[in-house]
Amino acid sequence: MLDAFRALLPRLSPKQLIVISGLGAVLGGGAIAPVILLVVLGAMGGTITGPPEQPIAFDHSVHVGKAGIACEFCHRGIPVVGNTATAMSAPVSAAATIPSVEQCMFCHAVVATDSPEVQKIRAAWETGTPIDWVRVHRLPDHVDFVHDPHIRALAETHPSFTTAQICATCHGDVASMTEVEQVRALNMGDCQGCHRENSAPLDCAVCHK
Amino acid sequence: MVAAAATLPTDDPHPETDGHRWGMVIDSDKCTGCQACVVACQSENNLALNEENRVIERRAKTWIRIERYWEGEWPNAKARFLPVLCQHCGNAPCETVCPVWATYHNPDGLNVQVYNRCIGTRFCANACPYSVRYFNFWEPEWPSPMDRQLNPDVTVRTKGIVEKCTFCIHRINRTKREADRDGRPVADGEVEPACVQACPTTALVFGDLNDSDSKVSELSNSKRAYSLLDALGTTPAITYLKKVDPSHVDEHEEHGH
Repeated sequence: MLDAFRALLPRLSPKQLIVISGLGAVLGGGAIAPVILLVVLGAMGGTITGPPEQPIAFDHSVHVGKAGIACEFCHRGIPVVGNTATAMSAPVSAAATIPSVEQCMFCHAVVATDSPEVQKIRAAWETGTPIDWVRVHRLPDHVDFVHDPHIRALAETHPSFTTAQICATCHGDVASMTEVEQVRALNMGDCQGCHRENSAPLDCAVCHK
Repeated sequence: MVAAAATLPTDDPHPETDGHRWGMVIDSDKCTGCQACVVACQSENNLALNEENRVIERRAKTWIRIERYWEGEWPNAKARFLPVLCQHCGNAPCETVCPVWATYHNPDGLNVQVYNRCIGTRFCANACPYSVRYFNFWEPEWPSPMDRQLNPDVTVRTKGIVEKCTFCIHRINRTKREADRDGRPVADGEVEPACVQACPTTALVFGDLNDSDSKVSELSNSKRAYSLLDALGTTPAITYLKKVDPSHVDEHEEHGH
């Protein structure tokens, strides 16, 4: 069988054959590689790009992991749920919100004042300039995402969850992150999958605006 | 006058309704044609300003438009005003023609347009008997500083897609969320689209048609009630109330006012 196949080919040495088939594989792979890349990126959601560089090296693992500060203590847009909510939380807001410089100074007026990173906050506070934090989680403009119903739904389905565990469902284990990064695709498939599992509404107009 | 197409699957005016069927009543007796609803809608829903040329080209976009009719000859002419917006038909001609399912009927009986799914075939705009679907021929632009007052709850639509009145679905969703959080049903009159809110004569009334005690239900059972292009059988969610003409009152003893 193999001999019959060899008879069809021009008279080439095994070494030449290897070189030619190798070249063919590389060229063929080159043609199909963009397709594979697109498929892989599509499956990944294509939005996860690793932790961005922040103007101040804020460490969540210190604040949440070691100090045990509740998420809603700083992100005050998070609605009050369950028994873990602090009285500090604002009642409700669509976004969790990034804390203001004032909020950082609430503690850092006295805590770790000799740290160079904390001194950056103090400088911003004294000059009255806001800190340009780089946003990590951003949904497209046509998505109407509101934290409140999601947190309430998770609190109902998982009564034992603390607020931090509820947040971790989508944001990952922030308590162990030195630099916060996006862990879930948070694309439409991701949202829909979760909505299906929890029999949440699948009507387009619930999320699309 | 009901259309005879009883075999259509969408013939039921509210097929999947779970609780709500949002509707509006427009009292043409109260409408003064002041255009406050038009302006309110324009600013609420991030519609770009219509320059004169756009109007001349008949490509001006206003999700709600006041149609003006003249009756009689000058100087005895009477102006009639008819605000026309998306009728949110129970049996919508626009929904069946969309090849990509960008427009569909949601469980609240609303006719929803999903902007980022729309590919701009404009079939829906052609199918709509009320001409209330608008195509974006240009990227929307606002003169500064008006570009800084856009509503974050509403998408800025790009060039090449169709858009239309949403019954201010962002306001409906927000009210439903708030009611859900408080564990109570949505009260009658709690949801107010921008046009209803702005109307100085309360000619526009919005509410739940499935709630028999709501103001819209009550008004839509008025003797003056009619639907626009009723013979088409589109079962609109908007009911118009006929104008009461003082000169005809004597002839019609009961005008249901």
